[in-house]
Amino acid sequence: MKLLTHNLLSSHVRGVGTRGFPLRLQATEVRINPVEFNPDFVARMIPKVEWAALLEAADTLHLVEVPKEPIQGYEQDETFLRKMHHVLLEVDVLEGTLQCPESGRLFPISRGIPNMLLTDEETKT
Amino acid sequence: MDYAAAQLEKKHVHDVYEGTAPYFSDLQSKAWPRVRQFLQEQKPGSLIADIGCGTGKYLKVNSQVHTLGCDYCEPLVEIARSRGCEVMVCDNLNLPFRDQGFDAIISIGVIHHFSTKQRRIRAIKEMARVLVPGGQLMIYVWAMEQKNRHFEKQDVLVPWNKALCAQPLSESSQPGRRKQCGHPERSHPYHAPCSGCRCSVCFKERCDSKRSHSVDCDSVLTGTCCANISQEGEEENGFYNTLGKSFRSWFSSRSLDESTLRKQTERVRPLKNTDSWANSTISIQPSGHSSLDLDQHKPFSSGEQNLDEDVFVETPQKHLEWLRAPPTRKHLNGDHQEDTRRNRRENFLGSTITKENHVDAGNLEEGNPSASKVWRSISAVEPTDSDPRDTISVKDQQPNVLDSRAFMRYYHVFREGELCGLLKENVSELHILSSGNDHGNWCIIAEKKESCD
Repeated sequence: MKLLTHNLLSSHVRGVGTRGFPLRLQATEVRINPVEFNPDFVARMIPKVEWAALLEAADTLHLVEVPKEPIQGYEQDETFLRKMHHVLLEVDVLEGTLQCPESGRLFPISRGIPNMLLTDEETKT
Repeated sequence: MDYAAAQLEKKHVHDVYEGTAPYFSDLQSKAWPRVRQFLQEQKPGSLIADIGCGTGKYLKVNSQVHTLGCDYCEPLVEIARSRGCEVMVCDNLNLPFRDQGFDAIISIGVIHHFSTKQRRIRAIKEMARVLVPGGQLMIYVWAMEQKNRHFEKQDVLVPWNKALCAQPLSESSQPGRRKQCGHPERSHPYHAPCSGCRCSVCFKERCDSKRSHSVDCDSVLTGTCCANISQEGEEENGFYNTLGKSFRSWFSSRSLDESTLRKQTERVRPLKNTDSWANSTISIQPSGHSSLDLDQHKPFSSGEQNLDEDVFVETPQKHLEWLRAPPTRKHLNGDHQEDTRRNRRENFLGSTITKENHVDAGNLEEGNPSASKVWRSISAVEPTDSDPRDTISVKDQQPNVLDSRAFMRYYHVFREGELCGLLKENVSELHILSSGNDHGNWCIIAEKKESCD
């Protein structure tokens, strides 16, 4: 699971709503997956990222220091773009958990795949 | 009812996909060109979700966008992952995404697996929720109206025959098959630009053809049609060809929607006992007049009904017609590029369409009556009269028929206009941009309306 994916994930436990984002990441196995750098692509991704959630996740994984917000003129800043490329696309969580910040419910990540299914009980309306 | 719906879907969708997932890796299902096109047209840097991605065939179509694949079926997701795709397991009815995260979403052959109208609406609303305003959603569902085939009901259980999936087709030019393709009954010279027909005649003509293929798709087509032939034994086309024209060989399911239940002529049995459900479908098992008798001599492809296979070989490009919704002011506001793109798209399809069937997109606004006329001629269905040959005694069953009962997939096939109606009446946050029929599927592209803050 890439951090870009994590950035989109939210808990959908009943009643949690927007308080289900972001999910608390915990990783026991992480791999770095080289991905071809495409500065244009990364630059376009930046505005779509929920920055605080990304900071938190990167911090948990002890990754390179991510700036507190996109720097001015980031579109042309190759160093910045390469750093973000690495953080968003090359870090791959293979084993770990995602925790709903509101309910505490844990979702597993196994073999790189997050499983976000709720039980029948949890989805009963 | 929601519990009953979930149970039905568990037994006849999720468990089937899980059980048949091992065979998916052998089936090289190809992407619908129209879907590929949609994906390729998304802006670079877009975030895209494929809800119901299966083994992930659409996930790498466009390297300039980031596509996340999601499916309920873990084994299928594992396969996609092994191909290097970014995927996850989740439920369409409860998408684990924050609001407005995606620039585009595709839902190809998914929502027809939901067994109630409310669930289908919920699935669409969930996808709309996670779309950015202005983002587009493409939905493909199986159509009830098929050219040479006939669904008796909208809610059906489709058998999947695992015994057949590993067997290659012995011959590709069986008379029965040829007939299915519409050779030589149809005299028009063109063939579907994309992977329509499996028979040797079509294959030859397609591969030899120097005519009217859009330049864009030539390489794709050559690749796919040749790949398809090698996969022929594992494709569903063979299964449906030998099944014969009628869908009467498929079991009817019951609609779980309450209003329909009242109209059901069958005795309603409680769904909690799923064994009795299975028994009730056996009783309407059809005859083996053409289809099942052939099972023994002609091993054919997996009976798996998968939208992304070109099962309907006799439905040529006539079906590739897109009706553009009457333009709203928004679209008329000089979005020439969009129009040009659509026209190019239409031309791509149109280049292989015979005159009588070609519907010019530009004429649609005024020519709606004629457009609907065209639809009707395409979707002519066979009469529903029951055929005495359809009844079969249990002892006549072929052994592999028993297999097929083990993996029956539930579908709610859509009537013409049903998908559009569903969106218009229940999902006001979406605005329909275009709709049409593609290879026996009703398709829609809708856009999330800008918020009215």
